[in-house]
Amino acid sequence: MQPKLFINGFSYLLGDAQAEDFTPFVETRKLRRMEGISKNALLCAFRSLEQAGIDKNASKEDMGLSIAMGAGALESTCKFMDSIITDGDALSSPTAFASSVHNSTGLTLSMFLHIKGPCLITGQLDASFAGALLTAQQLLAKKMCKDVLVAVAEDINPVLPAILPQYENDFAPLLCGYPHPFKRVAAAFAVCAESTINTKFVVQEITFSRTDETQNKVEMPDFCSCAHSAVAFGQQLDKARDFDFCETFAGSTLNIEVKKYAA
Amino acid sequence: MSLSRGVKIAGYGCVCACGNSAADAFDGALKGRACFGLPAHRVHSSYTDTYPVFMVADDFLAARNPEQSISQFLFIACANEAFAQAGITPEQLHTKRVGVVVGSSVDASFHCFDVYHHWRKGEFSAQDARELKNYLALPTAQTISRHFGFTGPFQTIVTACASGTDAVGIAKSWIDTGLCDAVLCGGTDEISLSPYDGFIRLMVAGKERCKPFSKNRAGINVGEGAGAFLLVSHATAEEFNLHAQGYVLGYGNACDAYHQTAPDPEAKGLIKAINFALKEAGLTADDLAFINAHGTASTANDPAEGVAFRTLCPQVPVWGSKGVTGHTLGAAGAVEAVLTIEALNKKIVPPTVGFEQYDENIGFTPTTQVTAVTKRFALSDSLAFGGCNAAIVLGAQDAA
Repeated sequence: MQPKLFINGFSYLLGDAQAEDFTPFVETRKLRRMEGISKNALLCAFRSLEQAGIDKNASKEDMGLSIAMGAGALESTCKFMDSIITDGDALSSPTAFASSVHNSTGLTLSMFLHIKGPCLITGQLDASFAGALLTAQQLLAKKMCKDVLVAVAEDINPVLPAILPQYENDFAPLLCGYPHPFKRVAAAFAVCAESTINTKFVVQEITFSRTDETQNKVEMPDFCSCAHSAVAFGQQLDKARDFDFCETFAGSTLNIEVKKYAA
Repeated sequence: MSLSRGVKIAGYGCVCACGNSAADAFDGALKGRACFGLPAHRVHSSYTDTYPVFMVADDFLAARNPEQSISQFLFIACANEAFAQAGITPEQLHTKRVGVVVGSSVDASFHCFDVYHHWRKGEFSAQDARELKNYLALPTAQTISRHFGFTGPFQTIVTACASGTDAVGIAKSWIDTGLCDAVLCGGTDEISLSPYDGFIRLMVAGKERCKPFSKNRAGINVGEGAGAFLLVSHATAEEFNLHAQGYVLGYGNACDAYHQTAPDPEAKGLIKAINFALKEAGLTADDLAFINAHGTASTANDPAEGVAFRTLCPQVPVWGSKGVTGHTLGAAGAVEAVLTIEALNKKIVPPTVGFEQYDENIGFTPTTQVTAVTKRFALSDSLAFGGCNAAIVLGAQDAA
């Protein structure tokens, strides 16, 4: 029997965070060099911690991070490849390389939020959110920390939107949402193993399995993104009621049983 | 100590620059033998006549199906070795809930440089579309799970150079909490342009063979390889009569919240991770036969480990194995865990190949010759970009 997850705060973002969004949380000059994917995750993290009643400035030795990234920090990855292509590898950008590493977003969250517990990152496209939730459950079950911030951050692969009109049939089974525009989205969920005065929902059970399904069957009405699961999950939480969250991806299924929490 | 907390390793496998199997790699580590050289035939970079790497032997790679990524090919080879050692086929486990946890760096990144380059030049082709689709359709752990026909959960862990250690630790947790009956876990990575150029441009790569913990160390050498473990619950081990080849006893992880590419010089996160792993194992530093260190031979990594080891376990011998494997990035923790189990089971620790001079900023001399050990437990740690630290405690097959 897997432990329950108590959701004390959540936030999601469709599109990019704007500088003014950060005004309640941090001086915006500190964000100048930050890549977009990390900015989006950070804004959602600030908002979900605030909802959970957790002081953003406190040192968090007992808080863990479980991050889901569909395909990593693609903006920086492409910047690094661009620098090789345009300037040659002898002048390629070390900054872009360092930012392209998945852990870059983990570092951003840990530094800005003073999180010093475990940090794990899952990168498996559509199934990343499922992996990050399982990890949060495991970290809490093993008492490696008392709270976990589950953060989901997604970049856009610039090649896909450009080539899909010509190759749509080849990629169709893998994509949900297309032909709606690709959108950079993010989400964050503050969870723990025991209820608090800020608990809003309880995740009763998470079931995540590999299947032989070849078609992505997730319904995403207005955008295309690997992180759609996390946003769709957040949208269900917005409705403030019990729900079963079920998604069938190409190759896996995710089921989450959620109850509205009443103390 | 309580081995009831440990998870049984039913089998393991390894492929890296110093060998094409776990036993072969350990023999390579003992003898300092490795496939080390300039990688002009593997990556297209202007640095390939200057910066060497540790590579898996070409004849081993020749067996790969071109549709398969090198990383996935290497991991599957290791997994097959693990199943063979365990004396069980993947099909026999199909009635069980079997999970797959794999750490990787390159395989889980957008590594299709040629595809991207062709697109930027306006020369995107149907072949590029196929490669892009393969990359999107075949995420590491999911593809490996499908290859073996498992239907349990899967997870690709991408905590950079700590990924392999994290994968083994999370897999242990999946068994401990009853999420799975068995978990195929480990790490895998391959030589690729981005990390090769990237580490050179960050000025942490060396032009010579790396010298872990040595005062005259001059940087890392990128490597490639994979390490795989088949972990099983006690009930599954009994049902299939699987013998322990070793144990995973404890796992810890903590982040530095310090710097994008450098570890915290006070090693607070690493100390926390090691302490957690030891606590979960029910052991103390006195129980450890040795530590297999991360030991990249970079300027910043080795002193940070020095601080942690001097603080927690100053009497425990330290072995750095990257002088024969190179830095295999997301695979490193898993490759090193396999070598650690081999060392425990054979009761000898190899020398730290490449070490030459004591460094007072590190504060210890790693193993310099083949050293006999009698204690049955060892620690393996990993440090990664972004300040992610991970540690696992492993036990020999006769530790119970």
